[in-house]
Amino acid sequence: MLDFLKRIFADSSSRKQANDRLRVVLTHDRTGTSSRLMETLKEEILEVISRHVEIEGRPEVKIIREGRHSALDINIPLKGR
Amino acid sequence: MGKKTEESSVIVVTSGKGGVGKTTTVANVASALARKGYKIAVMDLDIGLKKLDLILGLENRVIYDIIQVIEGECTLKQALVKDKRFPELYMLPAAQTRNKDDIKPEQVQEICRQLRPEFDFIFIDCPAGIEQGFRNAIAAADKAIVVTNPEVSAVRDADRIIGMLESAQFQDIQLVINRLQASMVKSGDMLSIDDLLEHLCITLLGIVPEDKKVLISTNKGEPIVLNERSEAGLAFNNIANRLLGQQVDFPSFEEDSLWGKIRNLGRNLFSKE
Repeated sequence: MLDFLKRIFADSSSRKQANDRLRVVLTHDRTGTSSRLMETLKEEILEVISRHVEIEGRPEVKIIREGRHSALDINIPLKGR
Repeated sequence: MGKKTEESSVIVVTSGKGGVGKTTTVANVASALARKGYKIAVMDLDIGLKKLDLILGLENRVIYDIIQVIEGECTLKQALVKDKRFPELYMLPAAQTRNKDDIKPEQVQEICRQLRPEFDFIFIDCPAGIEQGFRNAIAAADKAIVVTNPEVSAVRDADRIIGMLESAQFQDIQLVINRLQASMVKSGDMLSIDDLLEHLCITLLGIVPEDKKVLISTNKGEPIVLNERSEAGLAFNNIANRLLGQQVDFPSFEEDSLWGKIRNLGRNLFSKE
């Protein structure tokens, strides 16, 4: 049911595409980063962390926007003993 | 007649991208304020690519230009072109045969220092781009108006310009959205006001709808604010009133059809990533 509703109301408008593309490009413009740099950052951060503790699940490294300011949002789930 | 306000404002109108309506905004907001009796100077800093004289319909009355003022060939007073339709409006023309590197920020500051005691508002028409011309244009300004269109490349350039204005310590940066087509926003094919404000995060000063009458009045060299029946003219008039500190409501472009409302509600509930 939920999937059905999601499909009906899926927004595939060009306005949504413009917004999605702008979100990415403005974040990268403002911080001087790129998608490739984010991948590199993620790999290197994970490498450092995993040298000391065990990582579990799906770690995330991304830039979040708050107004005109950006922050690096790092979420790395650790394995419990 | 003398100036009305004690403090004068120097406002730079800028955008990054060319062709979004900076000069049209300067010409019309300035004319609207002059019509209300405020003493207004407009300064064209698009050296080498001047347009403001043409948009205002004053191209035949230009004698001297800003470079001649800077180089001492004439006085500032001699170079100011008076607009016959609006006795309170004066234009300082750009030079057409020189380029942006021929003036320095300090020289623009000096001209504004001389204009301030005489004028209520001084508008600076900034050239497109982020180079010397932009630095000249922002040097003397207290406030900035960023003009953009609801279109990805204009928004990207506006964002860059806002970043540069913030680095230059501008506290007062306001947004004018030009050429909005409400019907296209409703059908999901144009960025909305809220979309633009979400991306750019600055205060909204005005929304100017797409209006064929703008080109017609530009052809004639008449400001669109003189046309009482034009939506764009009304929008520029509203901008002028907001600059005077008046509260003027923004027109609502909310979805009005029942299906549109249901679709928007559905999208908000179900199409979040």
